[in-house]
Amino acid sequence: MLFIKRGSLDQLLESLTGDYRVYVPRSMGDSTGYSLLGESDTNYEIGKIRSFDPLKSFYFLGREKVSEDFKPDILRDDKPLCIVGAKACDLKGFKILDFVFIDDEYGDPTYMKARKEGLIISADCTGVGETCFCTAIDINPWPESEFDMNLSPVDDGFIVTTGSDKGRDIVISNKNLFTEAAEAQTEAVNENRTTVKSGVMERAKEKKIPVMDRLKRIIQKQYESEIWKDVAEDCVECGACNTICPTCHCFLLYDQKSDSKLARYRIWDSCMIHDFARVAGGENPRDRLWMRLRNRFDKKFSYFPEVLKEIGCTGCGRCTAACPGKIDIREVLARLEVR
Amino acid sequence: MNNPYRSIEAEVMKVTTETPSIKTFLLKPKEKLTFKPGQFMEFSVPGKGEAPFTPSSDSKIKETMEITIVKVGKITDAIHELKPGDTVGLRGPLGKGYPLTKFIGQDVLVIGGGVGLAPVRTLMYGLFHMRKQLSKLVYRGGCRNPEEFLYREELEEWMKRDNIDMKLTVDEGNDSWNGPVGVVTTIMDDIDVNFALAKAIVCGPPIMMKFATFKLQELGVKDRNIYLSMEKNMSCGFGKCGHCRIGPYYCCKDGPVFTYDMIREYPGIWE
Repeated sequence: MLFIKRGSLDQLLESLTGDYRVYVPRSMGDSTGYSLLGESDTNYEIGKIRSFDPLKSFYFLGREKVSEDFKPDILRDDKPLCIVGAKACDLKGFKILDFVFIDDEYGDPTYMKARKEGLIISADCTGVGETCFCTAIDINPWPESEFDMNLSPVDDGFIVTTGSDKGRDIVISNKNLFTEAAEAQTEAVNENRTTVKSGVMERAKEKKIPVMDRLKRIIQKQYESEIWKDVAEDCVECGACNTICPTCHCFLLYDQKSDSKLARYRIWDSCMIHDFARVAGGENPRDRLWMRLRNRFDKKFSYFPEVLKEIGCTGCGRCTAACPGKIDIREVLARLEVR
Repeated sequence: MNNPYRSIEAEVMKVTTETPSIKTFLLKPKEKLTFKPGQFMEFSVPGKGEAPFTPSSDSKIKETMEITIVKVGKITDAIHELKPGDTVGLRGPLGKGYPLTKFIGQDVLVIGGGVGLAPVRTLMYGLFHMRKQLSKLVYRGGCRNPEEFLYREELEEWMKRDNIDMKLTVDEGNDSWNGPVGVVTTIMDDIDVNFALAKAIVCGPPIMMKFATFKLQELGVKDRNIYLSMEKNMSCGFGKCGHCRIGPYYCCKDGPVFTYDMIREYPGIWE
């Protein structure tokens, strides 16, 4: 086990800016949000819990030009991404996004490039968010895969684990920044993990979230339930839950309106919005708000388990935190089980 | 890396007005582009937008393709403005199309309605090419009125053939029409095939597909042998954008042709 002091991490990140666009979480109100690391910039917080912005926003941009005229490629020479402080829930989001966007014939070129070239320096959670419930989705509040290097906060610095050759290479080429971890430090890491995990579990228990293995069955069984209509009463159809979700991947291809130039953009879309599934002829298979709400749950808790054997939810609780109608995904799942 | 969002440039060669609201566009792609019956294309007008359509021409013709388009909204308005010589974009072919080899040796029923007759035309060319390998071939077509019949001359030509049992009907007749009057299900009772094994293909407006499907069930056609050409909101065309989901499927990637047993349990399939 290796240890890196906060000051040495500052140096490491500064050196990474040569090869990467390094994004760091910064304290913003009660939460953290990502922005680009500048020169001699040490004003970042690894963050107790996930940032308010989902990791997907770096790999699958909210609005991105994907085709121009009839040219075969969109040329981009951006440096690859380095994301610092990513939490386990967001990393789980990659299981869904990779499934959707990576494939031989129709893979998304910019997503695949960003995933292949990017560097992820993740971190353990050291607190429990108001809406966190990752443990209910069988995720531990510390990264176990999908990272190149992971930071476990301890006094004055971090215990470092590597998760890929890319991560190991960085450690090797920056040897002088790391020291051997003391036993007390690794114990502190384990202690923190145990405390945070039981904190999340307790919160999930208070909310009576159904056992993970039952979620698919519950959604299928309650497909015709009146609960959907009742919950939809509180929905204002803003789409914030979709935008903020680390696994929501729906998008619209939009051709820029101009005289004759073809410029095609891939723009995030929201399945909660009325016209999402409407066809040009006017038919709309989900013309009622409750049908769209149900569809969102069905996609996450039934569709993805069916096609990928993975739940399309990471327990990050962002949708609940963002909802102006105070719809709490945990409470909806609990209600569906009881009735 | 292949860019699945990119369109291939194509030139509009000819525009045929079929009805006041329907035109057929003959397109010549500048790169190799072939398709199978039932597959669809994303057709774009530069600077206006992109929308999915199924070609209506013979898929054996490699250099050009025809697409028949009803004017229903902004993008189709722009498409209807196109003139020969204009440049457009084509992305595809997308979707799976009809499993024609499964039809070998079987009786085949084709039920088409309204503008659904456009993709059915491609299918019919495909079936005529393999006619000797099929048992009986039956075609039932319907439209609201005689003016809305697409490719009427061609259909009348087909009706004269002795290797097809073909009937057409209109919801409302007029002086130019001396055939049956009524919805398409009213000309299905005299179909003489082995329903228990027959393959039926239905393509048309949602309401027509729904009632034709129920009629086929009543006649004894198995749900797994009813092939429906579904219309959903398809944006990307390859199962990523999320718009056209039907249960565990995406209409674009897993369809747009589905057998009824695949999708019957999912809500909203007829809408």
